[in-house]
Amino acid sequence: MMLQSFAAAGPHISVKAQEIFLVGGISITNSHLLGLLGFIVMVWALLRTKQAVQGKKAHNFLTRLVVWVFEGLYGTVHQIIPEAAWARRVAPLTITIFFFVISQYYMGLLPFVGPITLHDGTPLFRGMVADLNMTFALAIVTIVSAQVYAFRYLGFKGNMGRYFVSPLKDPIMTFVGILELIAELSRLLGLSFRLFGNVLAGEVLLIMIAYLTQFISPLALQPFYLFELFIGGIQAYIFFMLSTVFISLGMEHHGSDEDHAHTPILEHSSSDAPRARLRGEELVS
Amino acid sequence: MNDLLTQFASSEVAVEKADMFSSIGIDWKLLVLQTIAFLVLLWFLKKFVYPPLVAMLDKREAQIEESTRAAVEASKRATESQEKVDKLLAQARSEAREIVATAKSEAGAMLTDAEAKSKQQAENIVAQAQDSIAKEVLAAKKALHNETIELVAQATEKVVGKTVNANVDNSVIKAALGDA
Repeated sequence: MMLQSFAAAGPHISVKAQEIFLVGGISITNSHLLGLLGFIVMVWALLRTKQAVQGKKAHNFLTRLVVWVFEGLYGTVHQIIPEAAWARRVAPLTITIFFFVISQYYMGLLPFVGPITLHDGTPLFRGMVADLNMTFALAIVTIVSAQVYAFRYLGFKGNMGRYFVSPLKDPIMTFVGILELIAELSRLLGLSFRLFGNVLAGEVLLIMIAYLTQFISPLALQPFYLFELFIGGIQAYIFFMLSTVFISLGMEHHGSDEDHAHTPILEHSSSDAPRARLRGEELVS
Repeated sequence: MNDLLTQFASSEVAVEKADMFSSIGIDWKLLVLQTIAFLVLLWFLKKFVYPPLVAMLDKREAQIEESTRAAVEASKRATESQEKVDKLLAQARSEAREIVATAKSEAGAMLTDAEAKSKQQAENIVAQAQDSIAKEVLAAKKALHNETIELVAQATEKVVGKTVNANVDNSVIKAALGDA
């Protein structure tokens, strides 16, 4: 592999992640290389935190930070989804999204991302969340999960009732249901493009500042790095918060009073059944 | 900068030519693989990492609840203890007041008794003194009487010029006295 460190040519900006090599017909892109590194760092940090929590190893700044963040996010999920049993089920997904996004965002800010290029000027590394495939994958997982949780909570008829209402019964709600269906698609696009756009914009900003300031770039980039660290945290939190809210929307009821009589389905967990039934009764009342 | 502009221009051309998704970098094969990769990561964390963290948070929450309950219980006990102490203090004060009142009353009675006894004693002393004085006066009178008799006898002896014995003396005296 021919690497060309600190390419002297102009700034290289690409909307797409670029292929570095092929493995069995699958292209491995520059975002995959950095993503793998970020993946390892994230898993290591979480495993290290787990060991510290279990008392196998001593706490340090990183583990305390992870525990603090985890506790905050876990509490937020419980605030958005008041039913503790459902909040417990949703929390791992949205918290994983947060840790994944923030770790991958911060990996994209490392100094070797961008300057180290192949012979044709293609950067060897690219932020994983600056790859639309990844942000799209996260959005798909979120929206599909929201639907899965909604089906489990409201039941098939209850969840379908959010989108499909008979025009003979309530024409306005029929229209609202169609809008709701379109909103699901727009959420998918909104989630993926918001994160992708922000990460790409951040990377372009850093590249342009580095290109324009040349030799004083180590100094000039500092405020922008701080800004990007802040934006990374904000974007990860936004994705986490929106994911939790979208999932929680599937646990609310949208429809006429007659449809309120259904009871959420929770056959597999006897301990949660009373709570779900209670909610069903609350909806009836 | 020229490269940058031409790159954006070329991407616009690509958008026109290629389908929408591939032009913005979406590769369905990679999308599926990356989704699976994320789900594997989620499964791994959910299975091996999050349970101890959640258990730790649950334990901490339980401890906080337990501490809160204990604090409320302690506060309740403290209030009860304070009420008991107040009650005991009130009882003690009441008893103390009773004791002081009784002591004062007893002291007063003792004082009155002592005064009465003292008065009685003084009266007794005075009576004894008066009795003693009366006796002494009587004794003095008697002694004076005897002395007078003796003096008279001596005087009579000198006048008569002879010794008279006691019988004579007495008869003379008696006679004299009888005359007197």
